[in-house]
Amino acid sequence: MDRRTFLKIFGSGVAGATTGNLLSPGRSFAKGDLSGQEFNGILVDTTRCIGCRRCEKACAEVNGLPIPDISESKNEDVLKEPRNTSDTQYTVITKYETEKGTIFVPKRCMHCNQPGCAAACLVKAMKKRPTGHVTWDSNCIGCRLCMISCPFDIPKFEYNKAMPRIQKCNLCYERFKKGELPGCVEACPTGALMSGSRRQILEEGKRRISDNPDKYVDHIYGEYEVGGTSHLYLSAVPFEQIGFRKDLGTVAYPEYSTGFLFAVPFIFVLWPLAMLGINRATKKSKEDEGHHEEHHNEKGKH
Amino acid sequence: MSRKTVLFLLIGVVYLVLIAFGLTMVYSVGTPVAVKKPVITSPDNKISIAHTEIFGKLERPQVIFDHKKHEEASKQEGCTTCHPVNDKNKVLFDFPKKIKGKGEKAVMNAFHDQCIECHKKSAQENKKTGPVTCNDCHTKQLAKVGMKYPVVEFDFAYHDKHVKKLKEKIGKDDCGQCHHIYSLEEKKLTYKEGTEESCVYCHDLTAKRGPELTAITKVSAEKGLTIRKASHQQCINCHLEYQKKGDKETGPTECVKCHTGKYKTIVELEKVLRPDRKQKNISYIDVESSRLKGVTFDHKSHQTYAKNCRSCHHETLKACKECHSLTGKPEGNNINVANAYHDVSSGHSCTGCHNQIKAKKECAGCHHLIAPKQATCAVCHSGKKDQINLPKPFSTAGISQDKLKKEVEVKVLEKEFEPSKFPHLDIVNKLVKVSNDSRLATYFHRDIQTLCEGCHHQSTANAEAQKDTPPNCKNCHMTAYDKQNLNKVRLLSAYHRQCLGCHEKMELEKGRKCSECHKAKAGGPAEITRIKNDHVIKQNTTNIINVWRPK
Repeated sequence: MDRRTFLKIFGSGVAGATTGNLLSPGRSFAKGDLSGQEFNGILVDTTRCIGCRRCEKACAEVNGLPIPDISESKNEDVLKEPRNTSDTQYTVITKYETEKGTIFVPKRCMHCNQPGCAAACLVKAMKKRPTGHVTWDSNCIGCRLCMISCPFDIPKFEYNKAMPRIQKCNLCYERFKKGELPGCVEACPTGALMSGSRRQILEEGKRRISDNPDKYVDHIYGEYEVGGTSHLYLSAVPFEQIGFRKDLGTVAYPEYSTGFLFAVPFIFVLWPLAMLGINRATKKSKEDEGHHEEHHNEKGKH
Repeated sequence: MSRKTVLFLLIGVVYLVLIAFGLTMVYSVGTPVAVKKPVITSPDNKISIAHTEIFGKLERPQVIFDHKKHEEASKQEGCTTCHPVNDKNKVLFDFPKKIKGKGEKAVMNAFHDQCIECHKKSAQENKKTGPVTCNDCHTKQLAKVGMKYPVVEFDFAYHDKHVKKLKEKIGKDDCGQCHHIYSLEEKKLTYKEGTEESCVYCHDLTAKRGPELTAITKVSAEKGLTIRKASHQQCINCHLEYQKKGDKETGPTECVKCHTGKYKTIVELEKVLRPDRKQKNISYIDVESSRLKGVTFDHKSHQTYAKNCRSCHHETLKACKECHSLTGKPEGNNINVANAYHDVSSGHSCTGCHNQIKAKKECAGCHHLIAPKQATCAVCHSGKKDQINLPKPFSTAGISQDKLKKEVEVKVLEKEFEPSKFPHLDIVNKLVKVSNDSRLATYFHRDIQTLCEGCHHQSTANAEAQKDTPPNCKNCHMTAYDKQNLNKVRLLSAYHRQCLGCHEKMELEKGRKCSECHKAKAGGPAEITRIKNDHVIKQNTTNIINVWRPK
C-alpha cells in the first residue's frame, strides 16, 4: 500500500467516525467504561431508611437549594402526601404503608448506565460521565426532551424562572472530583445509603440479600432495569409496592433508537450524493444532446 | 351524488359505528376481582352441606343444616336415626347412610331421599317436621358463606382429665380405651402398653410420612379414616356409651362443646401432668463413634415447653436415633443424626426450635445480630452423664461503677442536638431480667459477659487492644467514612442501627422517635434552618455544575 492510499483510507475512517458521532447524540458515552474508570453509584437499602429526611437537607445544603425544615413534627406532615422530586428538591423521601410496616424510599435520579436523557439531548448538555454521573451543563437549549425521555420522571424544569435550567441530582459530581462522598450518603444516620463503584455496591447488595433471605426480596432494582442504573435499591417488599415501575424492561432506552440513528448519517450523506450523481449523469447527457442539436441547427442554417 | 357514492358512504358509517361499538365493548369489560368468601368460624352447631369437591359448582344454594335441632328431634332414637352403624355396633358419623350407585347424581339422590323421607314420615305422624320442598332447605340466605369449625386441640390438660376420669370409672389405668396400633402383619388393631402413639401419626392423611407409616396411612386412607372421621368415631362413641349407662359426667356430643375455638397456651399447660409412657426424665444422648461428647438431655423440662409430643417427635414417639443414624437411613428420610438434631430450618430439631425461640421479641433484640460462636458446642456436648448444671441467675449488684457505667452520653450529633443520654445500667438490668426469666437463656448464657456481647458484639483483638473490655463502639466504628472499606459501618450509623434495630426487634414502644433521644439545641441548626428558609440562599453555587452560567 502506498502512502496515498493509506491516508485516503485512514482519513475517510476518521471523518466517518466523527460524523457518526456528531449525528447520533449520546452514543459516545453510552456504553461501558471507556477510560478504565468504573461507574459510581449509591446502594439504597430501603429496609434501613427511617425517614428522617437528613439526606434531603444535606442535598439542599450541598447544592445551594432552599433548606427544608426536617423537624419531627414537620416530617410527619410532609410524608403524608406522595412526593416527587422538583427543581429545588433533587431527592425526596416517600412513605409507603406495606404488609411489612412503614417503608421509606428515597427517590432521586437513577443515573442509568445508558441514560435516555443523555441520548435524547440535542446539544449534549446532559452527559453520562465516564465516572457514572449523569450531569447537566449550561449549553442547554431548553427543549426538555430529557424530561420526556426519562423513564423515572426525574429531570425537572425551572418553569418559574426567566432563564430556566434543568435540575436533577448529579450524584454530587463536583464533590466526587474532590474525593468527597455525596452529601446524602454522608448525612445518612443509619447507613441506608452506601456509595462506591457500581461493582462494589452491587456485590454488597447481593451479599445482603444472600445473608438475609427472609428480610429482602431477591431482586436489586437497577441491576438490569433499563440496562442497569447506578442507583441500586434493596427492598423487603416487592418493588411495585413501594412505587417502582416494573414495566420498564431491561433494554436501555437509547438502544431502542440506536439502529435508526445509526442509519441517519448514511442516509443524510449517501442519499443526497446518490441523487446528485443520478441528477448529474442525466443532466450531462441532456446537455450533450442539446449541444449536438444546436450544432446540427447551425449546420442547417448554413 | 350517484347511487354508488351513497352506498359507499353508508357502508363506511356502518363500519364506523361497529368499530366504536366494539371498542366500547372491549373497554367496558370489568376485570374479574377475586372475592374472598366470608367464613363463619363459630357456626353454632350448624353445618354447611355443599360438597363442592363432588358437585363442583352448585346448582342451588348450599344447605345450612342445624345439627342441634335434629339431635333434639331424634333424641329417642339416637344418632342412628341418621348415621349408619358398623358391625361392632359403633356409630359411624357418615351421612347419608347409604349411597346407591356412583356419581354425582347418586350422592345427590341419597341426600334428598334420606332427608325428605324422614321429614315426610314425621309429618304423617303429625309431628313437627322439616321442609320437603327445594327452596326451604336450599335457602339463598348464607348461600355464599363458608363454615368452618375451629380445630379441636386435645391438649395435655384434656389428656390428663381423661386419664383421671377413666381410672375412676374403670378402676385401673387402661390406655387401650383410646390408643391403638395397627399391626401390618396381623392386619388388625392391637394394643400393647407403652407403645401409645398420637392419633395424627396414622390418621392425618395429608402429611408425607416415612415408609413404615405410609403403609399404615394407606390402610387408613382405604378405610376413609381421616383424622376428622377417626376422632369423631372414637370420641363420640365413647361419650355416647357412658351417656347410655346414665353417666351424667360424660363428654359432650354437641358440636360446639368440643369445637370451642379456645386454645390453651404453653404457659397455661405448664403445670399439667404429662402423659406417662415410661419415658426417662433425663436421657443421655450418645451416638456411637461420633466425634463430639454425648448430650445430657432434660426430657422432663422440655416436655413442658411443648404443646404436644409431636412438636419434637414428628413421626412416632420413638427415640430420634431409631430412625436417624450416623449416616442416615431410609426410615429417617436419609437425614443423619447430626442434621436431625441441628437442622436450623426444622422445627423438630434442637437447634431449629431454639432458633425459633431466639427469634421471639425478648431474645431477637440481641440475637438478630449475633451469629453463634463455635465455643457453644460444649454447652450441650458436655459428656456429663445424668447431670444437668443450670448456672445461677445473673445479678449486676456486685459490679463496680467503672466497669458497668450507669449512663453514657453520646455526642455524635453534638452540633445539632444536645448529647443523647443512654441509660446503660437500666438496659443491662433489663437484659439480665430477660435472661433470668428464661431457662433456655440461663442455661446458654452462662456468663454475664455474654449479655454484654449483645451490644458490644464481635470483640476482635483489634478492639480489645485499646484495653476496653468489652470494647467501646468507637474503638471499631470510626466517625468518618473508611474510604478503603465503604462497607464498614460508621459510628453514626452504628449507634442508630444498634439502638433502633434492637428497639424494633424487641417491639419496644419507647425510643422510636428522634426527639426521645435527641433534644434540639437552643440556637442549633433547626432554628437556623427556619431563618434560612425565609430567604432562599444561593451560596456555593459557582462550583455546581447544575447551574446555568452566562459566558
